[in-house]
Amino acid sequence: MSRPPALQLIRPSAEAPSSGSAERSLLVRSAQAGDVRAFAALVDMYYARCLRFALHMLSNRSDAEEAVQDTFVRVYRALPSYVEQESFEPWLFRILANRCRSAGSRERRRAEFVEFGEVPDRASDHRHDDAIAWREEIALALATLPTEQREAFLLRHVEDLSYDDMSAATGAGVSALKMRVKRACDALRSWLTEERNGRRD
Amino acid sequence: MDDETDETITRIAAALRQLPAADPAHKAQVLVAVAAERERAREARMRAARRWRLAGSIGAAAAAALVLFVWRRDGATSRVPAETPAGAATQSTPASASVSSPAPAMGTQLAARDAGAVAPLPVQLVLRAPAAHRVSVVGDFNGWDTHANTLNRDPASGLWSATVALRPGRHVYAFIVDDSVWMRDPRMPQSRDADFGRPGSVLLVGQP
Repeated sequence: MSRPPALQLIRPSAEAPSSGSAERSLLVRSAQAGDVRAFAALVDMYYARCLRFALHMLSNRSDAEEAVQDTFVRVYRALPSYVEQESFEPWLFRILANRCRSAGSRERRRAEFVEFGEVPDRASDHRHDDAIAWREEIALALATLPTEQREAFLLRHVEDLSYDDMSAATGAGVSALKMRVKRACDALRSWLTEERNGRRD
Repeated sequence: MDDETDETITRIAAALRQLPAADPAHKAQVLVAVAAERERAREARMRAARRWRLAGSIGAAAAAALVLFVWRRDGATSRVPAETPAGAATQSTPASASVSSPAPAMGTQLAARDAGAVAPLPVQLVLRAPAAHRVSVVGDFNGWDTHANTLNRDPASGLWSATVALRPGRHVYAFIVDDSVWMRDPRMPQSRDADFGRPGSVLLVGQP
């Protein structure tokens, strides 16, 4: 018997949704009106980014997946109260960041590396090893940051949110967020420099 | 205070921007959880509506009983016209006579109909999947919970089956094969309101 086709999301249209704000707004409005396919398309559009953010915040795959799942359920529940004057992305990341914060406070950080890509079982070429080592170093450095700094750094430099959007997402003021990002950058630079020097010594 | 995006920060950000590999099964589970949330909300709305309907019936019955009580009292007191305001008796009498008696009966009928409507019926769900290791069924009747109803395999025929108790009415459901593949029941008509972009089948229970 042939294996049934793997699960795939059916998109609302033949074309994959772009991250364009017009299309996103249309999807949000359709989802608010009860179009479940539009909501599925929003999940499809943001799933990977949400998982990335949650992995960096929680450093644990299963915790991150749980946070992402819970976030989308909360988004679905709160969708009727969402007003379009507010940008969707900061609204989504506010829910996700809150969820990550509560998960982080419940279960303090575990000493696990962020799981990215595939880690080879055996040593391969040096460039690949270096790339993995670099990512592990960054993951460790990121894990040393206080939660607020890590969150601000990720929203700014990884998710590319503006400071106004970050303010909407976190509830913190723009100056405070700039300070957090600066401190995070300083700490990351310092940590990585020390790490490299320490390894050379 | 502006961002200090030097080469180190740029390299860090570039490494962190790599998107993690998404697990399709988990992505599907997210939508299952959302569907379950929608079902919970729908159930809550239905429960609230039933409560309001019941409260309305009780209220109507209580109002009717009150009116009947007043009417009888006024009927009794009307024999003593000197103690009764004339308008009160004439206003309440016709209304109470017509409303009071059917109202309690209507409440009883509603209650009886509700009791009959929620009585579940056993329904057997069957899927032919000889190569599968695990099959479960998800639907509006189990909150789209992948662990609620697991099918049992008949080794001889390769058929998976489960008997579930379903309330009379229309149900949408699908099978989850090996915790990762979502498929509708090929024997049943496809749901037109495919849930969250996934195919579902329609089952009518208790209807000819």
